[in-house]
Amino acid sequence: MATSFDPGLSPGMVITGKWKQGSYRIDRLLGEGANGKVYLVEHHRGQYALKVGSDAVDLQSEVNVLQSLALQTKGSAESFLVEVDDFQHPDGRTYPFYVMRYVRGMLLADYLEREGSDWFPLVGFHLLGKLANLHEAGWVFGDLKMENVLVADYGRSQLVDYGGVTAVGKSVRQFTEIYDRGYWSAGSRKADAGYDLFSFAVLFIQLFERRRFSQLVHTLLPQNRVPEELLKLVRTNTTLSPLEEWFSRAFAGEFASTREAAAAWQLQLHQSGIKRRSAPAPRWMKRLFIASALLLTITIILMIRVGM
Amino acid sequence: MKQIILITDGCSNVGVSPVVAAAHAQAEGITVNVVGVLDDGDIGEFGAAEINEIAAAGGGLSRLVHMRELARTVQMMTRKTVMHTIQNAVHKELQQVLGTSSIESLPPGKRGDVVRMMDELGETAPLRVALLIDASASMKPKLQAVEEAIRDLMISLQARQGKSEISVFHFPGPRYGDDCCMDLGWTSTLSGIPALFAKLQMQGTTPTGPALLEVIDFYRKDDYGRKNRDGTDGMKSGYVV
Ligand SMILES: Nc1ncnc2c1ncn2[C@@H]1O[C@H](COP(=O)(O)OP(=O)(O)OP(=O)(O)O)[C@@H](O)[C@H]1O
Repeated sequence: MATSFDPGLSPGMVITGKWKQGSYRIDRLLGEGANGKVYLVEHHRGQYALKVGSDAVDLQSEVNVLQSLALQTKGSAESFLVEVDDFQHPDGRTYPFYVMRYVRGMLLADYLEREGSDWFPLVGFHLLGKLANLHEAGWVFGDLKMENVLVADYGRSQLVDYGGVTAVGKSVRQFTEIYDRGYWSAGSRKADAGYDLFSFAVLFIQLFERRRFSQLVHTLLPQNRVPEELLKLVRTNTTLSPLEEWFSRAFAGEFASTREAAAAWQLQLHQSGIKRRSAPAPRWMKRLFIASALLLTITIILMIRVGM
Repeated sequence: MKQIILITDGCSNVGVSPVVAAAHAQAEGITVNVVGVLDDGDIGEFGAAEINEIAAAGGGLSRLVHMRELARTVQMMTRKTVMHTIQNAVHKELQQVLGTSSIESLPPGKRGDVVRMMDELGETAPLRVALLIDASASMKPKLQAVEEAIRDLMISLQARQGKSEISVFHFPGPRYGDDCCMDLGWTSTLSGIPALFAKLQMQGTTPTGPALLEVIDFYRKDDYGRKNRDGTDGMKSGYVV
């Protein structure tokens, strides 16, 4: 039901906060979704992400969550939320916005494509750590999906889009069907740690079995939409199959906590001999190899020329 | 909070205008949302216009969607309408207390408090949703998707902290001249939903307006019964729009 929303901001424009007078120069559009648009902006010589909301109430709900989180995690890291304000567009309309830390990263699928799937256990572990922090503070992420995870250097992942974040025990505010526990007849839409772990599991299946996963979603009748169908994909995938037990526990909601799920993730991957598994050499290694081979050849040629 | 979700695929053709009926609902504090559901065909210009008009008169939303999107649409409409109902009530309060009628005109700090209260109400206020299903012949291939959407809505409502119930009606009724038939009375469990429409006889006419009036009547009788029993309609009157 996304209605296109356009606050009419183009690169180079400067917007000024109505209440706090901070000014932000629009650099480019970073992304958009159901609730608004996110821009890369420059402010005090730094880069930030600025989200303009299509609905003041929805945006404020998101801000409330970010503010509570900031209070809870005080001192532990630099705050994610930077500023909250409104701006008046030259056309006279007022739009609410908030400013947050700019997360430099790429989508999970792109990251693994570029850096090689050897990184996936670590990326998964980092992401479970992020979720565990959130869960321990009494929140559930809710709308965990491909677009809402950005991965930076060395597999460090970061969650973006806090519109789905819900206090434990309440109904999940926003979700995407294919990652939703209720959609797969595997439990309720009440926010608990298991809800996010379920989506996490679906996300990793989608990552490694993209085609078969989407086929499954399109062909299964609602009454046959059960986790067992997802587990079948896990079992036949060489990357995922060592984690079969992990996935089955995530789907059944059997992890007592997200820390436990993270520990089990590590344990099962290492038991399965991830260290010994010889993955196809990633591109950087091939490149390095070619470069050194080239260097060797040149050296030899030079040596011959010089007549050593 | 009271809602009706009308799921249809065409124009009404007998009895009182559904737009008039929806305006009645709105006058009694019931919001009417309308989903026009398509398969690969088209709903036609008149169908689309009627859907928009019914929703406008009923203070609700209207959407034209493919069967595949039905569950998601019904779920989101219900949620949006809950927030909208609360927002309207809050606007009135703001007007009285602060002399300003919009949340946007509050400074960000105050806005945070107001929205926190709204979110809390959205989660906890009692909610009833009556689903009214067009069971004219052309809807037959879509009923499975309708059933799935009802099941999905129930899953969402069950996750709320406040009491949440649905009821299901279809129209026209089984006998000649029946405008509407109740399939499921107020419930908060999934048990009655599978095979909801298994035995349904599809009829030719589409008495959308009369059926809407019957559902309003159902709400009315029910409220009357409850008022007599415990003297409350389940929600503090200040919040009802
Ligand atoms: N802090 C950030 N740093 C970098 N990119 C970001 C940041 N926040 C959001 N983005 C990008 O902008 C996109 C849209 O943002 P976001 O998901 O918050 O919007 P939304 O309207 O809530 O979307 P949705 O419909 O998924 O709820 C994200 O998918 C991401 O690519």
